Amino acid sequence: MQPSMPPADRSEFIMPQSGLPAFASDLARALDALGGIRVDIPVIQPAEPFLDMAGEDLRRRIFLTESETGESLCLRPEFTIPVCSAHIAENVATPRRYTYLGQVFRQRRDGASEFFQAGVEDLGEPDQARADARALSEARALIAALAPSASLSIILGDQSVFEAVVAGLGLPSGWQKRLIHAFGNEQALTALIARLANPDSAGQLDPEVAGFLAKGDAHGLEAHIEEVMQATGYSTHASRTPAEIASRLIDKQRLDAMRLSPTSLAALKAFLALDVPLDRAAAALAGFAQNTGLEISAAHRTFEARLKALAERGEDLAAIRWRAAFGRPLDYYTGLVFEISAGEGGAVLAGGGRYDRLMALLGAREPIPAVGFSLWLDRIDSVRTQQ
Amino acid sequence: MTLTIALPSKGRMKDDAVAVFARAGLIVSAIGNDRSYRGRIEGMDGVEVAFLSASEIARELGAGAVDFGVTGEDLVRESLPRSDERVDITARLGFGHADVVVAVPDIWKDVDSMADLGDVAADFRARHGRRLTIATKYWRLTQNFFSTRHGIQLYRIVESLGATEGAPASGAADIIVDITSTGSTLTANHLRVLADGVILKSEACLVRARKAGHEADPRVAALIEAVRSGL
Repeated sequence: MQPSMPPADRSEFIMPQSGLPAFASDLARALDALGGIRVDIPVIQPAEPFLDMAGEDLRRRIFLTESETGESLCLRPEFTIPVCSAHIAENVATPRRYTYLGQVFRQRRDGASEFFQAGVEDLGEPDQARADARALSEARALIAALAPSASLSIILGDQSVFEAVVAGLGLPSGWQKRLIHAFGNEQALTALIARLANPDSAGQLDPEVAGFLAKGDAHGLEAHIEEVMQATGYSTHASRTPAEIASRLIDKQRLDAMRLSPTSLAALKAFLALDVPLDRAAAALAGFAQNTGLEISAAHRTFEARLKALAERGEDLAAIRWRAAFGRPLDYYTGLVFEISAGEGGAVLAGGGRYDRLMALLGAREPIPAVGFSLWLDRIDSVRTQQ
Repeated sequence: MTLTIALPSKGRMKDDAVAVFARAGLIVSAIGNDRSYRGRIEGMDGVEVAFLSASEIARELGAGAVDFGVTGEDLVRESLPRSDERVDITARLGFGHADVVVAVPDIWKDVDSMADLGDVAADFRARHGRRLTIATKYWRLTQNFFSTRHGIQLYRIVESLGATEGAPASGAADIIVDITSTGSTLTANHLRVLADGVILKSEACLVRARKAGHEADPRVAALIEAVRSGL
């Protein structure tokens, strides 16, 4: 990856790009002032990593084509994944900060399918509280500089606090995983909680399988599955092994019988309903822990460290809302998420968060913590012109 | 203005569609020879019949190129995004029954429901280094059912244009979304439909393209009424 010149310097050589807001050169300078390496990411990207990370839903929104050799290619739908992949490919030392400003291509419900985004990715920054605070604070400051009189509404969520609450409830790990996986998807989470409160009757089991389960005979069960697989000619290509199926069957039997006590259920619901300004968040979280008796002190400390780091950067905590249920249902987000909007319920101008699991999913050999944000330039532009 | 009705061009679907029309008192005849792709309805002027393949009928309805069509609901829902805004299913015709279903290898004894599948999909990458794969030709129906209805995002679709039910055994995919009428092909391939895995109970339908001018056209209402009364 080569540092590239900001668009402002190139503008005399190239045709102006459609949709590039007039403030792009100011923004480019502001981004460069944040430090880091400005990256140039090719517009044409292999499609696989995007579909693999974000899921099949993305497929109908991206612009796909095929290379002559049959490789799936797409117009870059966002920057984070290619920036992180390039970092891994270059195998360079961390911490390292990357910035970008460029066009992305994605069909949206509102607005054009080609639009500009700018943003920052901080890879491998060991002080996570400070890195989190810096991401939110820089995103807010960049928007405030571009649209000084806009009233911004900021919401913040933290998956790791939810994970701590779920662990504190003493649920078996299978249930914890389910809940964490659904975090950020209100409908799915509500359905899971209903199931926990009122388990549905287990599906009908194969009588032979039920026999092994009743005896608690894990080995017999596994051998039986193996035998059936061989008899049906399935085993040669089996993705899930007899051991995996048997152990999940045993797990599932336990999980299905699991019922959350009314107290724990109330605690879970109370947590998800927490929605307070950030200056009262520490007290709200402490109050919650005390009322419910849940042991979440480690997550609480991390949360408070971030609050402190935000305050040290001069952020007005009273102007940011913490919504305990706010998250993104993608498995690589791990902690902080935030969104900055043009007023309550207005268009989202910036989104960001911590995605510590992404680097490993993309093939990094060592864990690399990562946090970043992205600005929606067309929406910021329309907020500016409204004023 | 000529009204165009698209009917399936061959096989059981064609015979059944023509029979439903006949019971409605609408006698379909081919123009020219029996293999002709154009026809008419006896005694009705200004109505034209086009014999097309079932999937083409769905597409032509979506494009508004024909006024009515007889085709499977599965094809309408699969090939037309926001199909309810573009077409109106005016009658279910009682033939061509087929369910679009999610089926897993029967040996996955731990997977009975979509919730189970959600658990397996969430863990799949960590265990197998890749996402759970689904072989199907029903991209849209699969995406809607998995993401919107069941909140399952982490899977990959492997396009399958035929013999989908063989995909899990051949290793081409882990599970399938396919059409089944009796379930015997699934059973023969050691696959099992999940308890809540029926995405759509499809059958042949009389489908109207939502076109301006239909409301004021007495032939449109008369045709719908005739077909319904013949069922």
